[in-house]
Amino acid sequence: MASNPLLLTAGTEDHDLTRLDEYRAVGGYDALARARALEPQAVMDEVTAATVRGRGGAGFPMGRKASLLAKDTGKPVYLVVNADESEPGAFKDRDVMRFTPHRLIEGCLITAHGIGSTSVFIYIRGEYLHEFEVMRAALEETRRAGLLGGVTIVLHRGAGAYICGEETALLESLEGSRGQPRPRPPFPPVTGLYNAPTQINNVSTIALVPKVLELGAEAFSKIGVPSAPGTAVFSLSGNVAQPGNYERPLGTTIRELIYDIGGGVAHGRELKAVIPGGSSVPVLTPDEIDTPMDYDSIQAAGSFFGSAAIIVVDDRCCMVQLALRAAQFYMHESCGKCTPCRVGTRWLVQLLTKIEDGEAARTDLELLENVCDRMLGRSLCALGDFAVYPVSSYLRKYRAEFEAHVTGAACPFAGDSSIEGIVAPIAQHAHPVPEIVGG
Amino acid sequence: MRPEAVAEIQRIRTRYPRSRSAVMDALRIAQAEHGGWLPPESFREVADALDVTPAYCHSIASFYDMYHLEPVGEHLVEVCTNLSCALAGAQAVLDAFASELGVHPGGTTADGGFTLRAIECAGGCGRAPVVVVDHVYHEPVRPEDVGELVGRLRGE
Amino acid sequence: MAELVSLTVDDRAVQVPAGTGLVEAAQAAGVEIPVFCYEPRLGPPVGACRMCLVEIEGIPKLQAGCTLTVQEGMVIRTAATSEKAADGQESTLEFILVNHPLDCPVCDKGGECPLQDLTFRYGPGKTRMTFPKLTFDKPIPVSPLIALDRERCILCYRCTRFSEEVSEDGLLVAVNRGARSLIATFEDEPYRSPFSGNVIELCPVGALTSTLYRFEGRPWDIQNVPTVCTGCAVGCNVSATIREGKVKRILSRNHPEIDRGWLCDKGRFTYPHLRARDRVTTPLRRGPEGLREITWDEALDAAEELMREAGTAVVTALSGSETTELAYALGRVLRSGLGAHSAVLPEATSDALDAFRLPLSAIAAAELVVVVGDDPVVERAPIVDLWIKEAARRGADVVTCSPTGDVQTQPGGGAALCGELGARGSKLGKRLRAAERAVLVWSGPGGGGGARIAELAHELGFAERPGCGAFHLPSTPNARAVAAAWSAAADADEAGPAPIRLLVVSGDEAAADPSVRALAEEAERVVVITMFHELAGGWADLVLPATASLERDGTTMNLEGRLQRLRRTVLPPCPDELAWLSKLGARFGVSLAPDSAGVYEELAERLYRDLPLEGLGLQAPLPARHGYEPPAPATTEVPAPPPATEEPFVGELRLQRYSALFSGPAVERVPELRFQRPEREVELSPADAERRGIASGDTVLVRSNGTSVELRARVSRKLVEGVARVAGEHAGELHATVEVVKAS
Repeated sequence: MASNPLLLTAGTEDHDLTRLDEYRAVGGYDALARARALEPQAVMDEVTAATVRGRGGAGFPMGRKASLLAKDTGKPVYLVVNADESEPGAFKDRDVMRFTPHRLIEGCLITAHGIGSTSVFIYIRGEYLHEFEVMRAALEETRRAGLLGGVTIVLHRGAGAYICGEETALLESLEGSRGQPRPRPPFPPVTGLYNAPTQINNVSTIALVPKVLELGAEAFSKIGVPSAPGTAVFSLSGNVAQPGNYERPLGTTIRELIYDIGGGVAHGRELKAVIPGGSSVPVLTPDEIDTPMDYDSIQAAGSFFGSAAIIVVDDRCCMVQLALRAAQFYMHESCGKCTPCRVGTRWLVQLLTKIEDGEAARTDLELLENVCDRMLGRSLCALGDFAVYPVSSYLRKYRAEFEAHVTGAACPFAGDSSIEGIVAPIAQHAHPVPEIVGG
Repeated sequence: MRPEAVAEIQRIRTRYPRSRSAVMDALRIAQAEHGGWLPPESFREVADALDVTPAYCHSIASFYDMYHLEPVGEHLVEVCTNLSCALAGAQAVLDAFASELGVHPGGTTADGGFTLRAIECAGGCGRAPVVVVDHVYHEPVRPEDVGELVGRLRGE
Repeated sequence: MAELVSLTVDDRAVQVPAGTGLVEAAQAAGVEIPVFCYEPRLGPPVGACRMCLVEIEGIPKLQAGCTLTVQEGMVIRTAATSEKAADGQESTLEFILVNHPLDCPVCDKGGECPLQDLTFRYGPGKTRMTFPKLTFDKPIPVSPLIALDRERCILCYRCTRFSEEVSEDGLLVAVNRGARSLIATFEDEPYRSPFSGNVIELCPVGALTSTLYRFEGRPWDIQNVPTVCTGCAVGCNVSATIREGKVKRILSRNHPEIDRGWLCDKGRFTYPHLRARDRVTTPLRRGPEGLREITWDEALDAAEELMREAGTAVVTALSGSETTELAYALGRVLRSGLGAHSAVLPEATSDALDAFRLPLSAIAAAELVVVVGDDPVVERAPIVDLWIKEAARRGADVVTCSPTGDVQTQPGGGAALCGELGARGSKLGKRLRAAERAVLVWSGPGGGGGARIAELAHELGFAERPGCGAFHLPSTPNARAVAAAWSAAADADEAGPAPIRLLVVSGDEAAADPSVRALAEEAERVVVITMFHELAGGWADLVLPATASLERDGTTMNLEGRLQRLRRTVLPPCPDELAWLSKLGARFGVSLAPDSAGVYEELAERLYRDLPLEGLGLQAPLPARHGYEPPAPATTEVPAPPPATEEPFVGELRLQRYSALFSGPAVERVPELRFQRPEREVELSPADAERRGIASGDTVLVRSNGTSVELRARVSRKLVEGVARVAGEHAGELHATVEVVKAS
């Protein structure tokens, strides 16, 4: 295995980096001091030169994003940190906040300096109460130590809505509206929070910034792959022997991640499927796991880097059930604003339920495929696509299993699937709408 | 709501350029004030504190999963059943809670002691299955842990 | 001027100004981009329904046309020339129809339904959805005026955006998320907004329908007749939907400078008063057994007799809601025919504001709006309130100076405030002088028909600044033209006769006015021209049936000074006033045309030389500004307030009576509007309430000398100290100062 430089998690092996003194002991806030001695543009030039690509999923270079910020608008410039981590399979940002809160705060302060902002909002998903408290305590320490330098950092708690991870929905939510995405254009760098220019980045992107300044763009660029330098925290979950977060350079292959780092498939079972970037991305089959985990390679393989959340599925799992459970999630989380997503997610659940129950005809598989096609690329935001990718990719790559449900008029696992009978939240709404999941 | 809670809402309001931004925290405070859920009068109170309408507050509260529009038990037990937890055996954990508490997912025990819910991904996939009890994560939880966990909550 | 951008839509080249939206650009090229949620009047596009998906060369995914603006060289393809776009639009319709019931045959929207039309043009021929559709209880009453069918709702969010972003009432909202989303009010309380009915017109499907119009007509049964609303002085352009000679519905008819297609509920829902149970349709004369029906010949004889007996000792009480022609004809008969020159109007009028004239739409573009006067704008001229709200959303500073305003004044304090604003030291005055686009609005009594605010505008130098203007919000729809027409009818000075031998009461508002009633106490005989029995009984010697505005041809001048045409939308159940006035006039040697066009021709000679009737058209133009002349004394008297009595008991609070939008004889005759009428409450400032140990919701007694009214208290954070605010209809006989105590 290649060398394993640590950026986001550096120092956590032997220090409690939730404490300011310990964070300072590993050089914490030195990069901030260095950044503040530089002209703002010089800071952003460094970030741009390092090609820090967004770790939230889209992989858009952070420096380029900042260059799009509208200048001289007479309005404040806002920095918004997306800590609304909600993608099934992803839990990296949680650990960044939990174990290295000061690195995130330092990243915020450096970035704020770089883009000329004095107002930072960190939107933390509501369920992350402990992480919120760790962040609050760290922020208080930072404030007391006089490190904020006139910058206000507000910790804003979400309240349980996956869609708020979408940047414009997050802005709506932060403004006190229902978290429903906005059409783009206008884009947030021009018209963002409170209609002002806004830089939005993921927790793990911002938390990389101190290391970019510390190492310099050149050294940073040597880690990972040229198209995507640096490391990522890979979240391993599902049927893997040693699940957890592992920081590795971008470009590490899925095989290395599952077998060398994660100890292989749990209980020595056979690998059936890998979902490489969180539940929203197209599935990969075992013969595709030599793909390196970086934005471009994984996209060439027909999937997405997403949030680097690798879900391992073993041979005991029924793929129709897995598709249904994913579809139930996206139906639950669809914000309801645009037609294809609001209606299509429910229709997918109905069709998959029918298939799983052994009541579907072959034409229903075609209909399922066609509904996917009709949703794809037509929604207001990416959630409509996210709802489609698992369904359409499982259907394409595990077609025989879907067809077996039709020809056998029953689930071929006959009750033995590893996720048999799983109850999804949409089945238990406390304030019911009649026949919401009519079947 | 107690005057202290209203004062807290007013304090939070000053953090934002627009007072509507405080609605999520305000609803969270109101929910805590009303025993874990948001009865209709709580929307009137929040509306009054933020100079908005109760309809708007209801509109916001009903959008997010963490606001409860119906009474919940003294303890809220939430079991993640999303993909990673499902693959790690979440259903058996949910079943164990259901039988230990005698209530279906989505329901509240007759004595008002517990509400049991299946929830979507809580971000604990690396230590699945995740159970969140009164907003505190327990990870991982095995079916065999359920009895003791519930016992502790019952104060046994 | 914005520069032009060239693009093609379905291979048709077109040039449009930069910044034009794709929907409008396509329209300019003669191509339809179908939409449901898109409605530019509701603010920025939301891109929710996805009906407008188009293919744009160079972009792989279909784009929502409504959310984009044109770029140079753009190549756009709609369903007509792009298979992909056609599939996108068919998909959207398929998704919409997944839950939409196919109940068009029993749906009120059928035949005028965008969803029906677009499904016909772009939709799939058959359904592939075999699962149960979402079902809801239906219809739900959103209010006594509006029914909501949630199954038909396609969640375009037009109605909630209207509520949030146009009327800013925040009462109609979306609740829940995803497939469970629905439109609701809080706790199913009625949607009580003065503008609620607009959501019916905005709804692109049959989800929000009018309870008054439901099941009343099909599009092929009806005709829409264009006219102008006379509910207030804004003069919103409307269409009346007519079936079998009856008004079934009022729709807005967008005049972009006046109303932008919005209409208040008073304008929209008051029409059932045409069929009020106490509508007078035949003349009545007081005999020994009270009022009895007489023939029209008898009525004209009686009128002539009463007039001849009275000679010149006649006072005519005008409503200010007459058409210009009706006021002129009355004036000709009474003044030229009888020499009876005295008239009273409910409010003063003035031409002074013509020097500062702007279209109402200019308010939206203002940077500074200052509203002065005791009454909330919405109670006097509701649409003006929407224009001011839009200005605020667009970044204008709106400063209200009133007992409930940002700058708090005591009731009646507007005049003094105008003085302060005009003085050099005033901060706000300074900003008014500096602004490029400032607007002054007088909203309340005592404005001298606009003279007061005109003086201020003059002082501030608005006449030389074309972006600055001033408005006065009258309490009646047509007082200014009525006064002008009355005064043009003869060339003689008027003098108040004493004693009054005959009081002629023209119209329902005058008949319902306590000060006119007080005048009647002094008069020997009374003739009342009214629509309603209840307003005539008890005091009239002769009752002549009146027609309603919806039944009249004629002209009316709105608060901008814009003359607009009323059109007869249905035949009245009685002869038109002009017809019998022509006959009555003949008996006094006055020759009058029996119809409004003829009367207009005559009065235009004297008043509106430059305004031929045909020039008013369907969307009347705004006359140019006139030069400023210091206002002459009001052309008509303001009736004196009810006689003050000796008041040994003096309360500590000043009573502020306000006249609510939803009040008056017509509104009172529509049961469905009852919920819109003002609450039986008294508003108090927090300090005054606390001093008296009163909390919101308490039952209190409001007392003045010898009279007392029981009301519910409401503590209003905005109200100035020292004032008790009560809607006129609940204030009874209360005097100018009152005391408020908790009822035991």
